[in-house]
Amino acid sequence: MPSLTERVWSPYVAGVIIGLLQIPAFLLAETALGASSSFVTAAGYLASAVDGGVAQIDYFAKYMTSQKYFWQSALVIGIAAGAFLSARASGTRRSAFSHAWTQMVGIRSAWGRAGMGFAGGFIMLLGARIAGGCTSGHGISGMAQLAVGSFLAVMAMFAGGILVASVFRRV
Amino acid sequence: MEILGLVVLGGVMGLVFGLALEKSRVMEPGILVGQFQFRSFIMLKMFLTATATGLVVLAAMTGFGWVELGPKAMAIGPVLIGGLILGAGIAIAGACPGTALAQAGAGYRDALFVIAGGIFGAMAYGFFKADIDGLLAMGDYGKITLADLLPMPFWVLALGFAGVLVAVLVALERWRPWRDDMGPGGTGLWDGAPKAGEADGRRDRGGRPVEA
Repeated sequence: MPSLTERVWSPYVAGVIIGLLQIPAFLLAETALGASSSFVTAAGYLASAVDGGVAQIDYFAKYMTSQKYFWQSALVIGIAAGAFLSARASGTRRSAFSHAWTQMVGIRSAWGRAGMGFAGGFIMLLGARIAGGCTSGHGISGMAQLAVGSFLAVMAMFAGGILVASVFRRV
Repeated sequence: MEILGLVVLGGVMGLVFGLALEKSRVMEPGILVGQFQFRSFIMLKMFLTATATGLVVLAAMTGFGWVELGPKAMAIGPVLIGGLILGAGIAIAGACPGTALAQAGAGYRDALFVIAGGIFGAMAYGFFKADIDGLLAMGDYGKITLADLLPMPFWVLALGFAGVLVAVLVALERWRPWRDDMGPGGTGLWDGAPKAGEADGRRDRGGRPVEA
């Protein structure tokens, strides 16, 4: 049995654990694992703090009122807490940003990487919301339901990622 | 379920999810983007294992009639274009929407900017949804699964596909043991240390790296 103090687990152990999370997701939360919808919930609350009318826009309203999205928002916050505890338990420390960025694209400043990360995050969620799901919702959950659209989404996701990563240096 | 129960449930499930993402190092940019560069296969292995496990779980739960599937729609325009944009964003962010949170929790501070960018990306879609959807509206076939297209029940197809995935994973692991893709610090980076298969990092005939 893998222990919390170990620094790495096999991807197979992690994959089985994540796959088993579909049991409480479907049985108790009555939905599949997903992550990107919670960004709409956050966006809705943030935008409506500036302009109250945003909460009346149907798309935001749906993600700000349905209980399913409160569950998912708690899930993603839990992901951060779980990763924090995991790194703590194994004594794994991390720098401001992964050295991979210096090796792959030559970025050395934290602010440079912050700008790149912000742009990447923006593009990522824009795409995820257009497609209607991300690597969790379309990927892990969609393929596990044999959803035809999710197979297409996963292929497109890998194609887009491979294309962009091909201009990065291989390390 | 009551809303408080759902929030507690989500939080506990997230803890487990985040733990698995950090321990498997799928949240490391060197490993996630490394998958797109075909120099690390840890992300694909975790992804396919989670999918195969989900297939078995859903085959059983739908087979016993406990739950119903909730597949997403097959709409070629949005799914294809959105998927391409999402993939490009993942490579630039070095994270998926969920793993960005894991990165932030694990200590990478750039992930906070990925998350902020993501919130604004979701906001942009919300404001321009009508225009974007109108532009990409084509090939909407509804919420179809392979079980709707093939003359077999879902549980049979799901177990069959899970079997195929397990076979693929066994072959992948034989070809390339996962530890060889981790790097000495578990970041998918070597920083000068020899890789398995290179001089001083050779593997023996059983596929294990040979000690230098």
